[in-house]
Amino acid sequence: MLASAPVTSLRRSPLHERHVALGAKMADFGGWEMPIEYQASDRYGGGVVKEHTAVREAVGVFDVSHLGKADVRGPGAADFVNAALTNDLRRIGAGKAQYTLCCDDESGGVVDDLIAYYRSDDEVFLIPNAANTAEVVRRLQAAAPEGVEVRDLHESFGILAVQGPRADDVLEALELPTGKNGLEYMAFVEASWEGRSVIVCRTGYTGERGYELLPRWDDAPALWDAVLAAGESSGIRPAGLGARDTLRTEMGYPLHGQDLSLDITPVQARVGWAVGWKKPAFWGRDVLVAEKEAGARRLLWGLEGLERAIPRSHMAVASSSGEAVGEVTSGTFSPTRKIGIALALLDRSVSEGDEVQVDVRGRPARFRVVRPPFVAASTSD
Amino acid sequence: MLYPEDLQYTKDHEWVRSADGTWRVGVTDFAQEALGDIVFVTLPDVGAEVTAGQPCGEIESTKSVSDVYAPVTGTVVARNESLDTAPELINSDPYGDGWMMEIRPDGDPSTADLLDAAAYQEGLADS
Repeated sequence: MLASAPVTSLRRSPLHERHVALGAKMADFGGWEMPIEYQASDRYGGGVVKEHTAVREAVGVFDVSHLGKADVRGPGAADFVNAALTNDLRRIGAGKAQYTLCCDDESGGVVDDLIAYYRSDDEVFLIPNAANTAEVVRRLQAAAPEGVEVRDLHESFGILAVQGPRADDVLEALELPTGKNGLEYMAFVEASWEGRSVIVCRTGYTGERGYELLPRWDDAPALWDAVLAAGESSGIRPAGLGARDTLRTEMGYPLHGQDLSLDITPVQARVGWAVGWKKPAFWGRDVLVAEKEAGARRLLWGLEGLERAIPRSHMAVASSSGEAVGEVTSGTFSPTRKIGIALALLDRSVSEGDEVQVDVRGRPARFRVVRPPFVAASTSD
Repeated sequence: MLYPEDLQYTKDHEWVRSADGTWRVGVTDFAQEALGDIVFVTLPDVGAEVTAGQPCGEIESTKSVSDVYAPVTGTVVARNESLDTAPELINSDPYGDGWMMEIRPDGDPSTADLLDAAAYQEGLADS
C-alpha cells in the first residue's frame, strides 16, 4: 500500500542536501526531486498539517527552486511579452509583477500560468512552472522579434518562499525590504543580503502575507540557513510542497496540470481576470474572446464537504439527482476548515449553492458548490 | 522506528495483539509514517463480519488513501471511536491509543501468515 517509485534522473534544487538533512520525504515534482514534507525534529514539527498551520498562524519557508526562471530582453521586450501572454503589463508599472497565462494560440488552452516581473520596457523576467519552462521558452523564442532574446535561466536562481503573518519579522531580521517599508503586494525589488544580490517579491501561493526571495543559485543554501535562523523566534518551520498544495487549494488558486491545462481554457478556469481582454493581441485571443461571449460550457467551482470525505483529482461529480456534471480537478483535506474541499470543472447547469455528489471510491459523498476561497486571503495590507 | 516484540504483524503493515479470544488491530509505525498526517479513518461497525485479507475500512491522509485490511475472518466487536474525532492518534501512538478495531475470529484462526517483529522488519528492509 505504501510503495513509492524510485527517484531517478531528477533534477535537484540547490537546497537538496538541506532537505535530506531535515529528513524530508522527497518526490518527483515536474521532473525535480523536491521535499513533500519534513520529518518532525526537536526544533520543528513535521508533516503537512503542522507545516500548513505554521504558515497560516506564524511563518513557513518553502524551497520552490524548481520553478522556472527565464528572461526576455532587448528593445521592445515588454511589448513582445504583452502581445504573447494574456495579462496586460500596462496595468502595472516597472517594478511590479503580474500573474499571467501562456495560452495556445489555436485552442486557447493553457500552456502554463506564470508570474511576469516587469523590470523595464526592455526586460521582463518570468517564473513559469517547473515542468513547463522549456515549452514556454521554446514558444517565446520561436516568436521573438529580431533583437529580443529569450533565455532559460532555470538554474541561475534559487527561490525561497517565506509565507505567513510573521514573514515580515523574518525579512526584517535579514535587513531585507518588506511591506512595512513600502513593498506593495506584487512589487519586487533588487536587494542585497550580506553583500549578495537577492530579488525580493511580495508574492506567494498560500494566501498569506509573504515574499519570494530569489538568490543566485549558489547563494541559496546560505540564505536558507539564514532564513531559518532569523525566523526561529517567530516559530518558522520549513514547509514542503504538500503544505503548499493544501494552502493553495484552500485559496482556490489553480495548479497547472490539474485545474489549468491545454484542455482547460482561462474562461473555464475563471482566471479571466488575468487576461487583458482589451489588448489587440495575445496568444489565444480569438478563440478565448469567442468563448467568453458565448459562455463557457463548464466552469471551475469550489466544493466543500457536507460529510466526512476527501475528494481527489478525477473523481466524478453528479447532481443531487445523479446526473453527471463534471469532475474534480484538485481535492484535499483542508487543515484550516477540517473538511474535504475541491476545485471541480462543472457543467453550466450547476450554480452556486447547489448540492452535488462526488463519487468517492464508489460511495456518493455530499458537497456544496461554492466560490473559492475556502479561507479568506490576507495577502494585501 | 518501533516494532514491539509482543505484537504480531501482517504484510499489509498492520499489527495484531491477540488476547481473550479477540484480535486488536492497528497499523504499524512504518505505515503511519509513510501515510503522513492521517485526517480521516473509516472503520467497520461493531457487529460487521470481515474476511481475512479483504478491505474493511480506509485510512486517509492529506496525501492519499489506503485500505484497512482484516487480518482474520470474524466479527468486529469493538472500534476505536476516538479516531472519529482524533484520527491523528494513529500518527502519535500507533500501538496504543491509535488502535483501530477488535475482531473476534471465527473458529480457531490460523496465525501462519502473521510475522513476528523481527520478520516484519526484515520484510521492510527487503522492500
